Amino acid sequence: MNCREVEEQGVLECYLLGRLPDSQRDEFERHYFECDSCSSLLQVELTVQEHLKLLQPILPPAKKASIRRTWYWMPAFAVLTLVLVAGIWWRARQQQPVHQEASATLGTQPTSSGETQQPPLVGPSLEELARVQPPPYSVTVLRGAEDVAEFKFENAMQHYVNGGYASAIPGLRTAVKNSPRTARFSFYLGACYLMTGQTSSAIASFRKTISQKEQPYSNQSHYYLAKAYLQSKDVASAKKELQMTVDLGGGMADEAGEVLHQLNR
Amino acid sequence: MPVAITPGQFRDLPERIRQGDASAETELVHHFTRRIFVMGVVRTHDREAARDLVQDVLIAVIGSLRKGQLLDPDKLAAFVHGTARNLINNRLRTERQQPQLEPLSENLAQACLSEELEYAERTRLVLQAMNRLGDEDRQILWMTLVEGRGPAEIASSLGLSSEVVRTRKGRAIRKVTDLIRNKLSRTLANCHIVKREL
Repeated sequence: MNCREVEEQGVLECYLLGRLPDSQRDEFERHYFECDSCSSLLQVELTVQEHLKLLQPILPPAKKASIRRTWYWMPAFAVLTLVLVAGIWWRARQQQPVHQEASATLGTQPTSSGETQQPPLVGPSLEELARVQPPPYSVTVLRGAEDVAEFKFENAMQHYVNGGYASAIPGLRTAVKNSPRTARFSFYLGACYLMTGQTSSAIASFRKTISQKEQPYSNQSHYYLAKAYLQSKDVASAKKELQMTVDLGGGMADEAGEVLHQLNR
Repeated sequence: MPVAITPGQFRDLPERIRQGDASAETELVHHFTRRIFVMGVVRTHDREAARDLVQDVLIAVIGSLRKGQLLDPDKLAAFVHGTARNLINNRLRTERQQPQLEPLSENLAQACLSEELEYAERTRLVLQAMNRLGDEDRQILWMTLVEGRGPAEIASSLGLSSEVVRTRKGRAIRKVTDLIRNKLSRTLANCHIVKREL
């Protein structure tokens, strides 16, 4: 089996759906164990598949072809409407005095200085910018030496992955108390505080995580700290943390840049 | 952090592991963890079981390599796959009955943990990329990857041609892949630099 056959025959999708016959499944597995390209694509499609399953409730139902065909008329309607509006506008323009032509055409009013006023740009509100998705977490099961803190952490994160942020807080607090220098613990404790609207506690946890300088938690904490500041309406501090996130250039940099851009508008 | 292994280095791995080179074991773990995990998820439909299987397979493979049981180094990938297949089949047959295993050493456990972190980051990026796709593109991915419909069936359902469905599906996956490749490499490179500076 080669990459071309995999693509042409839709082997990858059939594999993920468990629809390959045993012999073909083994053959494909042998291929992707050696092929970086197919292995990488397979991992992406598996993750996409898992997320799609999670997104199921918000996806629109499948459209039928008949419904779709009605949309074929939309461009025609749009063109017809445009022609009518243009005709009306042209007639109105013919009847207007010359000195009003420019303003009528642009749809703006002249100012005393002769400049035109642009309509104010409307961006997202502070509340919208403060909204945040919880940092992802996948439960780790390692058969290493487990201590109390690790045990409490893993138990708490079972709640976390199911959206029980408030329920996760006591366990995470215990984990942090038992192992105060583990950045992972304080990071997810901060995330739980953030998701439950306890912004001052979130800020303290993220600051602590940043001070521990353990990656990737330290870098990511700047972004979530900014979100906590936004929730508490401290825009100046939020901007500072967002700028820090951008400067550090991690995976959150683009998102931080976008929020910063919106805030600067 | 995943290590890109060149064919030459890959060929040397079994011998290095036989000679007790711990870094070679770490490279092996990085290279195969996600492959085994995907295989485990697909075959068992259980992420937790797949995680356990990753460890079982890696322990078994490393144990064999330490004993020099792989004679042809070119067949390392096939050897790992064969071990994974056997252990998965055993697990499916015996269900809850599991073999007695030694815990992973701290270094290898750390390697797995770093894979977990990368997986978490990858998940976040996929979600971000998915949010950037249009409804119809997401729907095509949904019908393909979840409902298991072919391009022709999707095409008739959405009033598109099969070719358009194929193209849009490929383009959507490419968008997600590109975002992950770009951002993940930047994130990991950044982590690496910070670690070095510390």
